[in-house]
Amino acid sequence: MSYLEYQAKSTPTGLRKVLHLNWPLTLLLATVACVGFMMLYSVAGGSFSPWMEPQLKRFLLGFGVMLIIAMVPIWFWRNVSAVGYIGSVALLLAVEFFGTVGMGAQRWIDLGFMRLQPSELMKVTLVMLLAAYYDWLPAERTSRPLWVILPVLLILFPTFLVLRQPDLGTSILLLAAGGGVMFLAGVHWAYFAAVISAAIGLVTAVFQSRGTDWQLIKDYQFRRIDTFIDPSQDPLGAGYHITQSKIALGSGGWNGRGFMQGTQSRLNFLPEKHTDFIFTTIAEEFGFIGGFTLLLIYMLIIIFCISTALATKDRFSSLVVLGIALSFFLYFAVNMSMVMGLAPVVGVPLPMVSYGGSVMLVLLAAFGIVQSAHIHRPRQATR
Amino acid sequence: MIRTPLRPLARILQARAKGENPDVIERENLRQRHEEMAVKSRQRAEGRLLVLGAFFLCAFFVIGGRMAMMATSEPAEPAVYTAGSMIANQRADITDRQGRILATNFETHSLYAQPPQMIDPIMVAEKLVEIFPDLDKGRLLKDFTGKRKFVWIKKKISPEQKQAVHDIGDPGLLFGPREMRLYPNGRLAAHVLGGAGFGKEGVTAAEVIGVAGVEKQFDAYLRDPANGGTPLQLSLDLTVQAASEQVLYGGMKLMNAKGATSILMDVETGEVISVVSLPDFDPNNRPAPPVSGNDPSVSPLFNRAVQGVYELGSTFKIFTAAQAMELGIAGPNTVIDTRGPLRWGKFSIRDFRFYGNEMPVTKIIVKSSNIGTARLAQQIGVERQRAFLEELGMLEATPFEIVEAQGGKPLLPPNWSELSAMTISYGHGLSTTPMHLAAGYAAIANGGRYVKPTVIKQSGPQAGVRVMSEETAAASRMMLRKVVSEGTASFAEVPGYQVGGKTGTADKPRPQGGYYEDKVIATFASIFPANDPKYALIVTLDEPEISAHGEQRRTAGWTAAPVAAEMIQRVAPLLGLRPHVEPAQVTGITLTSN
Repeated sequence: MSYLEYQAKSTPTGLRKVLHLNWPLTLLLATVACVGFMMLYSVAGGSFSPWMEPQLKRFLLGFGVMLIIAMVPIWFWRNVSAVGYIGSVALLLAVEFFGTVGMGAQRWIDLGFMRLQPSELMKVTLVMLLAAYYDWLPAERTSRPLWVILPVLLILFPTFLVLRQPDLGTSILLLAAGGGVMFLAGVHWAYFAAVISAAIGLVTAVFQSRGTDWQLIKDYQFRRIDTFIDPSQDPLGAGYHITQSKIALGSGGWNGRGFMQGTQSRLNFLPEKHTDFIFTTIAEEFGFIGGFTLLLIYMLIIIFCISTALATKDRFSSLVVLGIALSFFLYFAVNMSMVMGLAPVVGVPLPMVSYGGSVMLVLLAAFGIVQSAHIHRPRQATR
Repeated sequence: MIRTPLRPLARILQARAKGENPDVIERENLRQRHEEMAVKSRQRAEGRLLVLGAFFLCAFFVIGGRMAMMATSEPAEPAVYTAGSMIANQRADITDRQGRILATNFETHSLYAQPPQMIDPIMVAEKLVEIFPDLDKGRLLKDFTGKRKFVWIKKKISPEQKQAVHDIGDPGLLFGPREMRLYPNGRLAAHVLGGAGFGKEGVTAAEVIGVAGVEKQFDAYLRDPANGGTPLQLSLDLTVQAASEQVLYGGMKLMNAKGATSILMDVETGEVISVVSLPDFDPNNRPAPPVSGNDPSVSPLFNRAVQGVYELGSTFKIFTAAQAMELGIAGPNTVIDTRGPLRWGKFSIRDFRFYGNEMPVTKIIVKSSNIGTARLAQQIGVERQRAFLEELGMLEATPFEIVEAQGGKPLLPPNWSELSAMTISYGHGLSTTPMHLAAGYAAIANGGRYVKPTVIKQSGPQAGVRVMSEETAAASRMMLRKVVSEGTASFAEVPGYQVGGKTGTADKPRPQGGYYEDKVIATFASIFPANDPKYALIVTLDEPEISAHGEQRRTAGWTAAPVAAEMIQRVAPLLGLRPHVEPAQVTGITLTSN
């Protein structure tokens, strides 16, 4: 069904759009952000500065951005997604360019009032572009090799740029989110099977070669991989965070030690306590119940996104909403796995909770698009 | 994919016949096809979404499950204990060839103070001095009452001392967990193990780093967490090492030597089974390094086996004889002119005693004739001698894997003249370490292959580089055996083990030039059992002197040889060698047949 078939009357106009926001989703997002404010207040030792106050300001700014984006019809966002993608890539290139002039591994661009991380912006614009691409592409061409290679290149180029920063976590997220959109768009499963089996084959080949004459990589590289996969081998170095966060989760138990009572994070055992490892503070102070509740809220956000996606009828809306949901899911799933030692430590923040402006703004903007898709979904004629 | 045609000919014709517009049929079919496609793609999208949903659900349960697991795992306050035990066992153990521990880790504590939190600094200082008499009370008081916020008191304390400090009960005294290196066998193999000390130190942990010996050589390996604490297995055998040390120590005292060293090497694998250097030290408590300016060889830290560069005297003669045989210059029975003294410019070469005007090569070795060996060297020539010694590894530091070995570089003559060749042929003018000599004798013993001496357990024989033929090696072994059975080393005879070897007595050089008349380095280099050698043994005594038969005696035949014999007698059974009784010479019976 094309946009032209939307019945103009059924779509709310003007301020009435506010009433048609996906309110449960909005409230859930606000709840998660509040959890973040609480934790940032706690890790600062019961103080609004240095983290909670800027975070609150950014949330309010981001919330405004979300509302504005939500008011604009979804087809506008489809039409500008290519522009957004090109802009993000340009910003990434700018970082790459100025980074070498500046201090080596720079990921930021200074906007005056805040510093923006283009790699975060990239996650949303990539999903948007892919959704627009599959909206434009006739369905029967979806699995033709030529039409598969194009989006793969669109994913790999920014991934490569981000990997060069270097930011392994974000590049993995980009790759996974892009691949996820392609999967949802219905690209033939054989492509995914081929890529996955090739990757598995390569990894096994590398590991099989260990200790043989045709060893593919050097011994020290193997050892680095070993400590990357299993940081407990190096408890004072690479495994330090994991060791400490395991202790925090263990001492939190079922009920936790109570708000502001966590020792692991507040006594500075964890350097990243306010960013990537903030979940340890939640688990320590509110225990399993607190951590699991947060996980449930995150899952509810995902569920509301999926329901919005199901309510829309056009390919762009459903793909972009699902893609954003998938990105969001990857954020918290990877972060929690990392903190709990299920996955290697790659710098991925806990969305809406970790201290950080770019992620907060970009995520709220992305949810603005979800809201827009929700508001401008097709409805039964009300004539 | 089977497609229904958009314009089926039969129906078109039919429609035309009826006068209808055939395009309607096409439009209808097109619409149907699009609808089918839309249904299919919706089904596919739903399938994909289902897969994604299932993935979300799985991840949700895994993360939730993990959270529950971690919440229940360690109920309360595990912080300190867990942190401490994670630090432990960072450095891999070192074991002997049988897996017996030579070096391991030991948990202890450091003691430090935070003066601002101290309640009664004067009382604390008094009590601390009672517990640690080596501390200075005045200094402690100054530290505790001054501006300092942090003071290290002791790096390592025993559990009893810790308890005593604990009993002082002052909150300003604190303990930090420490892991230290422990050598449970004390002085045993001290020079090989070397020792370890603290590197970067913090309150909660300190880095343990190797400072000498294998601890330093393999520091990176021992500290590498990727090795998973797999111990470093040395080639040494704890019991053989202990017996060797005991015998050598006794021998050193008996022979009034000021130092001694011994090396026992497996001639096939190159593994060093025991290596002793006396005087030694306790690696648990390494003595201070020697002050510069003093002779380093006086320090117990000095490893004579790999660092002591000596002129090893007549032990080198066998290499000259072997090369002469290898080159075809002489056979074991070729008669050489040994009239002396042999003059070369201002220099003259003499023998210890006069043995006759001419001798076969075997007898030159057995009687240790300098003149005969020098004559062989004249025929070998400078270049060939140098090349042969290089193949035997005599011109470079040994590859033995302890850091000190790199310092044992041989001293070569500044100008390798023909005279040098002649003196080197009997072991003067070229200084090497006993470890070099062991590798050289191992080559003769194993049939002519140079194997690298190693301190790491090997899985099998080394291939080695061939330096002489099997025949030459066999003939050389015969000569070495004869040195013991009828020559200068008769005191080295051990019944049943057929020792073969060569003595070497070299005058010690004076630091200001020239040689001492009454100070020697006495060496006995041996292989056993000579008919099928398994081991090479070098025993070197520094300045031995005994009086026997009314004479002061320093030669190796009187000093080093009997010590070596005692050592072989003690360690051969430990090495699993059975005594072999040589069949008695069938003499006195003449079979006659008429």
